[in-house]
Amino acid sequence: MSSYPNVNKRKGVKLELRDPMSFVNKFIVLILSISTGLFISFVILILSGVSGSALWKEFVVYIFTSEKNLSSVLIQASPFVVAGLAAAVAFKARFWNIGIEGQMIFGAIAATYIAINDIGPGSVRLLLMFTAAGLGGVFWILLPAFLKIKLDVNEIISTLLMNYIAFNFLLHLLYGSWRDPSTGFPNSEQYDVFEILPLLGWQSLNFSSVIAVLLVVIIFWLFVSSRFGFVLNVLHASSDMAKYMGIRVSLVILIVTVVSGFLSGICGFLVSSGIESRMTQSFFLGFGFSGILISFLARDNPIGILVVSLLFATLVIGGQSLQVFYQIPFAMVQLMQAIIVMCVAASEFFIRYRLIFSF
Amino acid sequence: MDFLIFWLSNVPGFATPFALGVLGMIICERSGVLNLGAEGFVLVGAMSGAGVLISVGDVPFVALLIAGLSGSLLGLLFGFLVTILRVNQVIAGLIMVFLAQGLTSLLSRNMDWVNKPFAGLSKLNTGILTEIPVIGPIIFQQDLLVYCTLLFYLVAFYFIYRTSIGLRLRAVGENPDAVDAAGGDVILIRLLAVTIGTFFLGLAGGYFTVVVSKIWVDGISGGRGWIIIALVIFARWQLSRALLGAVIFGCIEALIPRLAAIGVQLPQYFVLMMPYAITLLVMVWSNLNPKNIKAAPASLGRPFLREERH
Repeated sequence: MSSYPNVNKRKGVKLELRDPMSFVNKFIVLILSISTGLFISFVILILSGVSGSALWKEFVVYIFTSEKNLSSVLIQASPFVVAGLAAAVAFKARFWNIGIEGQMIFGAIAATYIAINDIGPGSVRLLLMFTAAGLGGVFWILLPAFLKIKLDVNEIISTLLMNYIAFNFLLHLLYGSWRDPSTGFPNSEQYDVFEILPLLGWQSLNFSSVIAVLLVVIIFWLFVSSRFGFVLNVLHASSDMAKYMGIRVSLVILIVTVVSGFLSGICGFLVSSGIESRMTQSFFLGFGFSGILISFLARDNPIGILVVSLLFATLVIGGQSLQVFYQIPFAMVQLMQAIIVMCVAASEFFIRYRLIFSF
Repeated sequence: MDFLIFWLSNVPGFATPFALGVLGMIICERSGVLNLGAEGFVLVGAMSGAGVLISVGDVPFVALLIAGLSGSLLGLLFGFLVTILRVNQVIAGLIMVFLAQGLTSLLSRNMDWVNKPFAGLSKLNTGILTEIPVIGPIIFQQDLLVYCTLLFYLVAFYFIYRTSIGLRLRAVGENPDAVDAAGGDVILIRLLAVTIGTFFLGLAGGYFTVVVSKIWVDGISGGRGWIIIALVIFARWQLSRALLGAVIFGCIEALIPRLAAIGVQLPQYFVLMMPYAITLLVMVWSNLNPKNIKAAPASLGRPFLREERH
């Protein structure tokens, strides 16, 4: 700063770099900015004609006093967790996987293929569907990953374009040969009992929560204790440094995209087999963007992803009842997520800088 | 021959929104601000244009102006986030898309704008000129915005390459530190570039509803904002190539419904996939030439951190 003497004398608002903030202070800022985002969202909702007391009831009272609603939140949170992990893994290697939804679609298509063609004995059917879903997701990310590695094609746009291609392929199946023969509706036929994730015994909570938590543990181990996690941290900090250390960056990107695609495929499976018991034409909607936002809010930390997913799931379940009882479009949930993330992103400015007013 | 004339006469209508959008993106990104929110600005413009026509009445040019201005309004928020608060530009762009999807869906439902057809902007009637064989329907039977777009390109070309304002814009995109040292206000220039750029993105969105579909439904832009971003890379951030890219894409988009009309049987959803698949091919083709990768403004995506300079 001292090298710009006349800058300091200028009147008005000036920025100064802060010393790095302690973890506790950062956490306080995070909570404050999430609260600000929620506050703005609630103001919008009140302007749309929902009373304040109704908001309190729908988002807090009914969710945390009813076991049924609480279990709905937990079920909704599982695919969010996995989508968040899929985003986080890729971001660690600076690969922006915006194609989570397309990979979810191909994951669910692969799992549904196993289900409707009755491949393998019933006892291992779920395991087959799980594996197929993961591989379906991998299949759909391979092209963007390859194009990124070989030709440096911007992965943000390529993965996103792949979403639209996957969606139209899904419609092609659901309005064509995969249409439910018993009802004629454009969704796949209902999965058999042994193709649906089993219940855990409390309310409607099912095995998807177990899968989500297991994946969090695995990815946490991968990030924190494994050799590969160290490589990822180096690559995240600086790809030049990684190159000088002899890390094969393209190989790391390939591994990371495969893991990310696999997780996205699983995410699709968790929605179709864990929530909807069939493949519908909109099962994936919003999970891709939500996954990215969740991973951003959690700073790519798997445990954080678990926490933020619970918050997002609460918004979804609250939003669903607002939709039913107050005719508030479900897009409001999307808007709330965007506003919260915007507030948190903006708060980083205040973590880094101090504003100095001199008049 | 009839097929060819019919096809080509539809090209300008399909190319115009791409041309407008890419123009906006280039103005924005030439200043070094990476704009991945294009889809969001397009959506907001599309909804506002439709909203004006439904709520106010048959005033297509006001609707188009409002479409552009509402793009700018969201653009101001985006600009504030990325220039003043220095938010990661990728994240900020994605937030804009998400925000716009939620906002347009909520607002259009609250205002009851969904699925309401309106008259919109019709093609210009140039009378006798339309009668000229071949070039009549292709060149003289278009809506006014098609011709305006060409005018916008000429004006933008003049400003970007021939004036000191344009020089500053390009300099900020290449080397903001140098502009800062020379006494230029990097933040202000970028904020202006974003505001003007998002105006054209909003206008492109307005074109989709006011001129093309003449109706609003959620997510009507259907990923065209992303195609616009891909076209910017194809255009190497240059206006002349941008126009070329938009026309090529217009040809492709105009060809798809024509094929069905002359009886080429293609599975419906594979036809709908084509624009995205072709965009992907265009991106691959662009990157086969190493020149393209280096064509991006040098500071694209990097926030200007005066206080952190060493």
